[in-house]
Amino acid sequence: MRRLLAACLATCLALPAWAQSHDTLTVDLPGDVATMDPQIQWDTESYSVYRNIFDNLVTRDGSGKIIPQVATDWHYANDTSVVFNLRTDITFHDGSKLTPEDVVFSVRRITNPAFKSPQLSQFDQIVSAEVTGPAQVTLHTKSPYPVLLAQLVKLSIIPKAYVEKVGDTEFNQHVIGSGPFRLASWQRGVQTNLVANDSYWRGKPAFKTVTFRAVPDTATRIADLKTGRADITRGLSPDDATDLKSAKGLDVRAVATERVAYLFVNTLFGPTKDKRVRQAIAMAVDRDTIISALQQGFAKPTSVVLSPVDFGYDPTIKPWPYDPDAARKLIKEAGAEGATIPFLTSPAYDRRLNEAVQQMLADVGLKVVISVVDQPTYLKRRLGTPEEASALSQGRWSCGCLDADGVIFPLFRSGSVWSKFADPAFDAEVDAARATLDEQVRLAHYHKAFEILHDEVPGVGLFQDEAIYLVKHDIAWTPTPDEAFFVYSMHYTD
Amino acid sequence: MNKSLLLLFYRKEALAFFLSRAGQALLATFGVLTIVFFIMRLSGDPTLLLVPEGASAAQIAELRHQLGFDQPLAVQYLAYLHDMARFDFGESLVQRAPVWGIVTERLPYTVALAAGALVVALGVGIPAGIVMAVARGSWVERALAGVVLAGQSLPTFWSGILLILLFGVVLGWLPTSGVDGFSSVIMPSLALGAVAMSTFARMTRIAVLDELQRDYVNAARARGLSRWQAVRRHVLRNAAIPVVTIAALEIGNLLAGAVIVESVFAWPGLGQLAIQSIQSRDFLVVQAVVLFISLVYVAANLVADLAYAAIDPRIRAGG
Amino acid sequence: MRRVSPGMWIVLALLAGFVLAAVLAPLLAPSDPLRQSLLLRLKPPGSVFGGRSYLLGTDDLGRDLLSRVLYGARVSLLVSAVAVIVSFVVGTTLGLLAGWFRGVAATLIMRSVDTMLSIPAILLAVLTVAVVGPGFLNLVIVLGLTRWPRYTRVTYGQTLQVAQLPYIRAAEMAGCSSLRVLWRHVLPNIAGPLMVVATSEFGLMILFEAGLSFLGLGIQPPEPSWGAIMAVGRSYVERAWWLTVFPGACLFVLVLCVNVAGDWLRDQVDPRTVSR
Repeated sequence: MRRLLAACLATCLALPAWAQSHDTLTVDLPGDVATMDPQIQWDTESYSVYRNIFDNLVTRDGSGKIIPQVATDWHYANDTSVVFNLRTDITFHDGSKLTPEDVVFSVRRITNPAFKSPQLSQFDQIVSAEVTGPAQVTLHTKSPYPVLLAQLVKLSIIPKAYVEKVGDTEFNQHVIGSGPFRLASWQRGVQTNLVANDSYWRGKPAFKTVTFRAVPDTATRIADLKTGRADITRGLSPDDATDLKSAKGLDVRAVATERVAYLFVNTLFGPTKDKRVRQAIAMAVDRDTIISALQQGFAKPTSVVLSPVDFGYDPTIKPWPYDPDAARKLIKEAGAEGATIPFLTSPAYDRRLNEAVQQMLADVGLKVVISVVDQPTYLKRRLGTPEEASALSQGRWSCGCLDADGVIFPLFRSGSVWSKFADPAFDAEVDAARATLDEQVRLAHYHKAFEILHDEVPGVGLFQDEAIYLVKHDIAWTPTPDEAFFVYSMHYTD
Repeated sequence: MNKSLLLLFYRKEALAFFLSRAGQALLATFGVLTIVFFIMRLSGDPTLLLVPEGASAAQIAELRHQLGFDQPLAVQYLAYLHDMARFDFGESLVQRAPVWGIVTERLPYTVALAAGALVVALGVGIPAGIVMAVARGSWVERALAGVVLAGQSLPTFWSGILLILLFGVVLGWLPTSGVDGFSSVIMPSLALGAVAMSTFARMTRIAVLDELQRDYVNAARARGLSRWQAVRRHVLRNAAIPVVTIAALEIGNLLAGAVIVESVFAWPGLGQLAIQSIQSRDFLVVQAVVLFISLVYVAANLVADLAYAAIDPRIRAGG
Repeated sequence: MRRVSPGMWIVLALLAGFVLAAVLAPLLAPSDPLRQSLLLRLKPPGSVFGGRSYLLGTDDLGRDLLSRVLYGARVSLLVSAVAVIVSFVVGTTLGLLAGWFRGVAATLIMRSVDTMLSIPAILLAVLTVAVVGPGFLNLVIVLGLTRWPRYTRVTYGQTLQVAQLPYIRAAEMAGCSSLRVLWRHVLPNIAGPLMVVATSEFGLMILFEAGLSFLGLGIQPPEPSWGAIMAVGRSYVERAWWLTVFPGACLFVLVLCVNVAGDWLRDQVDPRTVSR
């Protein structure tokens, strides 16, 4: 009871954290970290925090190119084996050396089904990992796997000895990595404090301490920035960003991400089984109005269901034109006038976009009925049978791998849980594209695949989403398309 | 009054009454446990929320198997009861941390909020109730009655947003949401306390009116004490007992009300934890939070029941 | 019956006003509550565009707020009324059964009442919506099936008392069936307290509907519900106060009127028979 009282007092009397010193950085995130263990949860909030504590085998530079980090270089021994040479000068926060055994342990732990990692499916193409030299590891994949390096960007290297000593639960509470920051304290649901790792191998970070706070309400996050309680926040809506464009001392920094907003169209059930209805839907959606009115310009149109930053994006394929008259005619031809189109969605997706699409389709003679369910129910139905999945729904997709394979394969390849589309020609193209490492051959396959998608319309690409950050003007930092949040790349300009 | 409460426990039937009430409370708790377990399981499991986009059907099935959600419901239920019997609350599926720790970390926030609301409710409600009783029939009573009714009819999410609008946005005196020192607990406490305030005012009014009609008040008045002096010296002490009983009941209601208030103010307490965990199907966390709130509720009811029985059969409520 | 005071007449007139607004919404609303115009998003009250005036402003999709608030009265009253009827029927039936037959039936029923009452109603509703999904019909069912225990408690207590009355005993002796006695003699006897409970529950139901819709678990967009409009208002609190203030004020006044009417009704019935 006394502890409870003390905790209450601490809660109430804690002084506001005024972020004024240039040594500290205060970040307002929309939510709390789910797990500190980088091999369990992978949501944006957890990523934003724990990736500052760990190093990865490889990483991306500002332009998205994959560059060395723990690995100095790598080469393919054959189509299914990659050899990585490692740095030898990296130490974990407890002073122990980062060895090839740690790398192998990290791979084995996350790919071990018994560990129940939610990230397993991103790494389960790796069948084995072994130490092949004093500073070398080799990874073997099931088959040629072109996106292996892109996936390894997200694999944090954890200390084998420490994890084995303290166990998984304790490691999750008090993580140790080799990254630029150490975990100092973690108050669940409230905030996380990191301190600089002064002996970091890439050099001392610009900030001595970093505080991540969970502030779910956008208006509060903005107010915190305005009053100097925080230095940087993310997750602003386009409306907020427009209002803040002239805010003194603050920058709205937006970056086009690999997240693509699209409309899923069920080709296997309901009125949208008719190709003409699907094509009519593609022509009824006024992409430009959505981008200018709802997104306030914070988005770029895409012609297909893929973000232009991803490998495989094909600008030669033109989107269906906005043409309500042609759409009406097609719907008439298909005998679908006044047809009821169920639209499944959840609170995770922009409500305004749903309702705008509903209105646009009403204008061409389709009666869209929106049903909002919570996220687990939404996933259950969307990933269920074609009958359960409803005719339409909105989606935002990002594989975190910047490759078409992570987008159109799971979305439209028949047999995938997300796909409500079955086209053998399409399947053949995406299968071929994932079985080779030759980029030119892959691009050719994706070109054909996107031609099929364009004609069949199992989905309508709407726009490339932008991540909007609000940053103190004198902090130098450029957000990246993969929405990574590395504090190490930030510093004050003066 | 205190003496009669003690005496009651010496009597056999009183003990039987206590035991049967406690038994009922235990039964109700078991019912809560069961209902929440089955409702959560019927709502689908969290596997799909946990896997990355693009996972295949086989990968999803594998994770579901690892998590144990492919077992028959009866087996899962028995395993859960077995754990509960040993006070083992298990591990959160999402956070991979002991549920007990997660709940106790959020508890202080809800306690702070409920305490703040109780301060508002008692601090305003009781004086208002006393004034309403003593100044019966005057314009003061009617004005206060209006305030009390208004408090009772206020939707907490509306009053919450209005407070944010006024003190957070227009005046800029208080933080609009979240946790940032003492100032951030003020608005949620006001929003949450308004409804309980009305209850206290009404109950205090009735209790004081009851006491004012008694002979000893007349006797005191005859000895030359003014109406207010009589109230201060005698009435309040006696009227306090039913009010304290109501306070016990209100704590349960405050915890329940916190669910909406915490979501309006982004306050990291149990209510927000419950809503988030329901949305992420973090079964064991939901079960633990609901169980905890229900226990407080049941315990408060038990205390109130016993106190009612002990004090005065006249005040005993129907049903 | 006491004389109805002037204040009470005002309250009754307001209540009638809400009902009229709900019934006549299609005639009163200046425009279609679902008609969007994305170029007129978040315009303040009193704005005039293209010869049309938006008395209460527009929402984040450029829909007329006045029309949406009028239609919102429909949703609010309809959901709450039907839910109250459902819970009234369920709760009273169970209470009558428990009070009349006693024994095992009573124990079972009254222990379920205890259980239901020990889960905070809002949490129970949120949990149940997670299973059945939101929507008008489901909302009515969820609210109806989670709010019956108070009727059962009151009915049970009252039935126990009434069953002891001489003329009820007489009717039973005369060979009337239990059902007949309950329907013809017991129920009319306890109607007063039940009406009081129903009125206070009606006020609560209105708040519940709005609360669940506020949390996104109630009425489906784009159908207008006061709670749902306020949820949108929450995210635009700095730039569009009207989205919060107007629907909230309607909700507040409606609940206030229902509560005043409920208090008045309680004063007509013996105040000692009904718990808070």
